[in-house]
Amino acid sequence: MDSDIEMEMESDNDGEFDDDYDYYNTGEDCDVERLDPKRADPEYFEYDCLTVEDIEKLLNELVEKLNTILQITPSLAKVLLLEHQWNNNAVVEKYRQDANALLVTARIKPPTIVADSASTSAAAAAASAQLLRIGSCGYRTASSSASSSNSNSNSTSTSSSLLSSQYRKMCPVCASSQPSDKFYSLACGHSFCKDCWTIYFETQIFQGISIQIGCMAQQCNVRVPEDLVLTLVTRPVMRDKYQQFAFKDYVKSHPELRFCPGPNCQIIVQSSEISAKRAICKVCHTGFCFKCGMDYHAPTDCQIIKKWLTKCADDSETANYISAHTKDCPKCHICIEKNGGCNHMQCFNCKHDFCWMCLGDWKTHGSEYYECSRYKDNPNIANESVHVQAREALKKYLHYYERWENHSKSLKLEQQTIDRMRQRINAKVMNGSGTWIDWQYLFNAAALLAKCRYTLQYTYPYAYYMEGGSRKNLFEYQQAQLEAEIENLSWKIERAETTDLADLENQMDIAEKRRTTLLKDFFPVVGKV
Amino acid sequence: MTAPRRLRKELVDLQESSLKSFRDIKADDDNLLRWTGLIVPDNPPYNKGAFRIEINFPAEYPFKPPKISFKTKIYHPNIDEKGQVCLPIISTENWKPATRTDQVVQALIALINDPEPEHPLRAELAEEFLKDKKKFVKNAEDYTRKHSEKRPAD
Repeated sequence: MDSDIEMEMESDNDGEFDDDYDYYNTGEDCDVERLDPKRADPEYFEYDCLTVEDIEKLLNELVEKLNTILQITPSLAKVLLLEHQWNNNAVVEKYRQDANALLVTARIKPPTIVADSASTSAAAAAASAQLLRIGSCGYRTASSSASSSNSNSNSTSTSSSLLSSQYRKMCPVCASSQPSDKFYSLACGHSFCKDCWTIYFETQIFQGISIQIGCMAQQCNVRVPEDLVLTLVTRPVMRDKYQQFAFKDYVKSHPELRFCPGPNCQIIVQSSEISAKRAICKVCHTGFCFKCGMDYHAPTDCQIIKKWLTKCADDSETANYISAHTKDCPKCHICIEKNGGCNHMQCFNCKHDFCWMCLGDWKTHGSEYYECSRYKDNPNIANESVHVQAREALKKYLHYYERWENHSKSLKLEQQTIDRMRQRINAKVMNGSGTWIDWQYLFNAAALLAKCRYTLQYTYPYAYYMEGGSRKNLFEYQQAQLEAEIENLSWKIERAETTDLADLENQMDIAEKRRTTLLKDFFPVVGKV
Repeated sequence: MTAPRRLRKELVDLQESSLKSFRDIKADDDNLLRWTGLIVPDNPPYNKGAFRIEINFPAEYPFKPPKISFKTKIYHPNIDEKGQVCLPIISTENWKPATRTDQVVQALIALINDPEPEHPLRAELAEEFLKDKKKFVKNAEDYTRKHSEKRPAD
């Protein structure tokens, strides 16, 4: 969303030039002059927020397209597309190469036709040929093939096809004898009565299974096509459930679609760029990583953040115990509870300035080098005992965990700062000192602070799993720079009314530049899809 | 419901087929959903005895799978102390309504005769089976002699 807005702003700025350009060069050329947003902003991400109806339309168009090319039923087309990540061309190509193999791998046809008696194979082969050519629904009632597909009933196969509708046979599932026109079978030829299929479908749907429902025969994995389920299941509740589950499976199998993870949100996000970028739902405003669906986690990648979160969930009890919520002032030792997001603390008692993280003097956290974000490895670790190594590993983890957790808390506290700020601004506006619009820059500053701190929070798992070396040094240097500027910004926002506007805007610019620099260098985007 | 008709047919078919390795098949007098039978394995170390099993069918049978438990104690990597057994053919994910009880029993007998230490319910027995087969066979034979039922005469 942010990037969309930036894009728009950019195009507004270029407006004049565009007009001139358009005059001489119509069409696409005007884009050439513009900065490639992908290069300018490492987090730039194009995506759409679509409704269920939009997606149904989109999927149906793909299904219809395949129908017309291959002349098959929608039900069959859906299965084929599902199995090929909705890549129409892949399906068509495989179909042209070896239609039979395609249908077998999509579990529409069995690897070999199971014949109840020897004579069925011809009928089944004919049926599968029919399945291929005109795409019959993929199932048939027994009346079309009953003359041969009977072995369970002991009656001799004297019945002619003329009598087939009166002809009775035994359903192997319910063990009752029924007229053969009540039987249905899939391409595999396993034939069961209508009532059994229906109960079976409902049982499966109840367990959340839809397009993966298979034939009822032992060791047969042929899939039941959607249209047979919807023909036999008549209870509206069950039909709805089936269609909901099927829709979920279709969306999940489509690489460019993601359900919005927001609670009760029906939006589906679509993007042709499948990478770990941030998508923000335009309806519920939930932000998430498009690739893995978790909270956005740049610059860390999907596997690492998963590892980190699992580790934190496992170890958090110890960590919580160790990292207490209060600390003592390093100078006068009075107990201090952190009530704001900024890590630059000033003791209310002795006015000592110190860093909440490392409890060091804040003077050393000035502009030139900000050391406290860096974890210092014990150089002799290899020679130490297992016990010391374990303690060192825990120390290392806690170092990163505390910072991760601390920034997460800071984010929440800064939200409270914004709320308090809103009240103060309201009071000011009421007293006639400035208009609401005059104070808007404060909210912009707070939003930017949140954005920067969020990225900073996610640099800690990245650093934890990073191997030592010059690249890690560079990363931790940039992380330290970002952290220093963020704390400066936070300090200035908390004292916003007394801070010079230009100074604040300058600080905002610096912090955001540090953030984008770090992401440009370490957020895996270019060349990694 | 389909369960009683199908179960009656399966019970009759099983009793008529007179399998050597699965005998004495009975449904409870007042409950067709509960069967008992006697497993008579062919392979050592279990071929010195016979094992009573219970098959419990759910009311939704055959749309939901039956459960099997051992009433006779057995020294086997895939059967735990409570008599529970892990059989893929009757797991909820794999269950097919057309699967017959005789197929389930065949799968069970195959598992008894050839244990699968790769998917054990009793890890210590699986380890013994893999690392010290001689000891495992001896323990299992002793255990069978002590706890199992007598094999039928024929």
